[in-house]
Amino acid sequence: MRKIGIYGKGGIGKSTTTQNMAAAMAVSFKKKVMIHGCDPKADATRMIMGGMSQATVLDTLREFGKENVTLDKVVSEGFAGVRGVESGGPEPGVGCAGRGIITAIDLMEELGGYPDDLEFLFYDVLGDVVCGGFAMPMRQGKAQEIYIVTSGEMMAIYAANNISKGLTKYANRSGIRLGGIICNSRNVDRERELIEEFCDRIGTQMIYFVPRDNMVQKAEFNKKTVMEYNSDCNQAQEYENLAQRIIENENFVIPEPIMKMDDLEQLVVKYGID
Amino acid sequence: MSVPEKYKLKCDISIPERYKHHVLTNAEKPNIPACNVKTIPGDMTERGCAFAGSRGVVGGPIGDCIQIIHSPAGCAWYQWGTRRNLSAVYAWAGQDTLCNDSHNRRRAITTDLQEKDVVFGGMEKLEKTCFEAWRLIPGAAGILIYTTCTSGLIGDDCYSVARRVEKKIGRPVFVIDAPGFSGVSQSTGHHHFNVQFYDQMLEYRKKCPEVCMKKDEMGPYDIAIIGEFNMDWDLVYIKPLFEKLGCRIVSVFTGGERMENLLKIPDVKLNVLHCQRSCTYISKLIKEGFQVPYIDASFFGIEQTASALRGVADFFGSQKMKEKAEQIIEEEIRCITPAIDFYREKLTGKKVGMYVGGPRVWHWQRVMKELGMEVVFSMCTFAHEDDYEKINARSKNGLFVVDNPNEFEIEECLEKFKPDLFLTGLKEKYLCRKLGVPTVNSHSYEKGPYACFRGMVNFARDIYQGVYAPVWKFVNL
Repeated sequence: MRKIGIYGKGGIGKSTTTQNMAAAMAVSFKKKVMIHGCDPKADATRMIMGGMSQATVLDTLREFGKENVTLDKVVSEGFAGVRGVESGGPEPGVGCAGRGIITAIDLMEELGGYPDDLEFLFYDVLGDVVCGGFAMPMRQGKAQEIYIVTSGEMMAIYAANNISKGLTKYANRSGIRLGGIICNSRNVDRERELIEEFCDRIGTQMIYFVPRDNMVQKAEFNKKTVMEYNSDCNQAQEYENLAQRIIENENFVIPEPIMKMDDLEQLVVKYGID
Repeated sequence: MSVPEKYKLKCDISIPERYKHHVLTNAEKPNIPACNVKTIPGDMTERGCAFAGSRGVVGGPIGDCIQIIHSPAGCAWYQWGTRRNLSAVYAWAGQDTLCNDSHNRRRAITTDLQEKDVVFGGMEKLEKTCFEAWRLIPGAAGILIYTTCTSGLIGDDCYSVARRVEKKIGRPVFVIDAPGFSGVSQSTGHHHFNVQFYDQMLEYRKKCPEVCMKKDEMGPYDIAIIGEFNMDWDLVYIKPLFEKLGCRIVSVFTGGERMENLLKIPDVKLNVLHCQRSCTYISKLIKEGFQVPYIDASFFGIEQTASALRGVADFFGSQKMKEKAEQIIEEEIRCITPAIDFYREKLTGKKVGMYVGGPRVWHWQRVMKELGMEVVFSMCTFAHEDDYEKINARSKNGLFVVDNPNEFEIEECLEKFKPDLFLTGLKEKYLCRKLGVPTVNSHSYEKGPYACFRGMVNFARDIYQGVYAPVWKFVNL
């Protein structure tokens, strides 16, 4: 089983990309895939499940107690047999979402929630890695490879760089590696070149450039992945390509993040101002 | 400033950083050990945490408030049984009447935070706990909420809960935010309690001015005793002395005190400060905020109690009161002299080691002198520089002093200095027994009170009984 963590700036399209890619893996490559959503908003499996009906691990724990959390309550199967589980968590501003992620992942492992026949397990983690809890999927025995979703926007690159910094902390201890950067295009000027140079600078690859296509939004409105909504469209092909790149990926590195903010800014400005 | 070779403790060879915490005293040029700094790895410190300081020491003795620990149940252990003296049941009220609830160390209330409360936040549970406790104990004069490491880390907004509960129950609800990790020892907890209690007291007095003392109720000789925690009912001896002097003790911060009196501390004429480690903070705040001065005092031993009485009389400046002070001192000394003479004769020349939290070490140096005993080494758990200055000033030059000692250092000092008695706490007692050294419980006493003139007789008796217990004949044969 390959355990994969998907990180990136909030709102960049981690969940959208993960679900579309997972659907493509299941449909086109017949892979057994599972998505573990590690965001308190619990929307990481919405398109796979056709809506947000799933009970989250933490809500179940809160309501019924730890001993009453069972797999049939919290794990569902959606489109093309893709399984999904949501950690859930507190409302913004209260409690400790980081601790929630630790609790939910521990509980899933305790329950044997990631079955042996699984080929791909995706941890879809929220925004910046603000505390130890959000780095949980990077720790020993959890995810072994990380993909960072970004666009050519400065703050997204800044977040990607920060996440790489976080990753290097765990790299030696847990053997976790960066598999590459997924560019989820926002149609920023010279986006591809910018991301390619950024990848070059931190010593990784741009594993795929996902073009912007309104089809993604349309499918999302219908609570569906692109593969389910319109499997013949171009964007479905793009996700299939992304899935294939990830399946075949052998380029795993410990990144060398850019340490000076100035250098990072210069990089963005270089491509941003014609 | 390192100590001479013969004072180097062997047990610290592998952690040489500990030597910075060892000094020999010098009255003219005080030697201050490294103190109030974080414990280093390898040093099995005996310190407590900031929460233990706020709840266990300063807040704990408040008598008539519900005290809620917002924590997993384990932290709540510190709520009860840690001292023998419970808060007094007021004589003028029957057992079941509303105004007679005295909770100090009688009840343990905690929110018992679980994993899910940490994840989702514990505020709702805290509010529920407040109301549940209020329903069970409707006579309580208010609620004190303490945060701990857990609730401090997840950042529960206890203040907003307190305001909501306060509105509903119509009594003060204060929050003491001193998570265990917020300082290097319990001393930080004392500080937090002082500052936060003062701030919330101020706010409450503004909100409900009726809790302040009315102008026509104020007396010319109103005092508050600050930093006295009614250890083993010390107040039984302290209060009458000042009352005889002509003072009215409006409030004690915090020994067995009621909330309504605590809120009146700023209305007194003078604060008499006993524990100068844990409560100087609030004394200073009251002085700045209300122009109520404070004087340092010690209620231990003949000379210090006498000077406390004289200090208060001098402050008020009335000739009558000064004469009264002399009269009280003379009377008290006459009463205790036969007993003290007996014990002094038995104890003269005996060697004593001392290990208490901080101030008691220098409070008691004079007491030991009055009993003819010789202090051979001193140790403090959480003392600051000013405590060590006082220890320097009050000792013969060359007294060995250890800051924040650990068990190995204690053991080595007992073997090195061979004291006839060790003034220390409960947890060191058993080590001392094995080494054949008698101890007197210096935190919550053996059979107190130990304060003031009459308390000194009890103290001397316990020391005498310790030193002369026949059992010591059978050890070290």
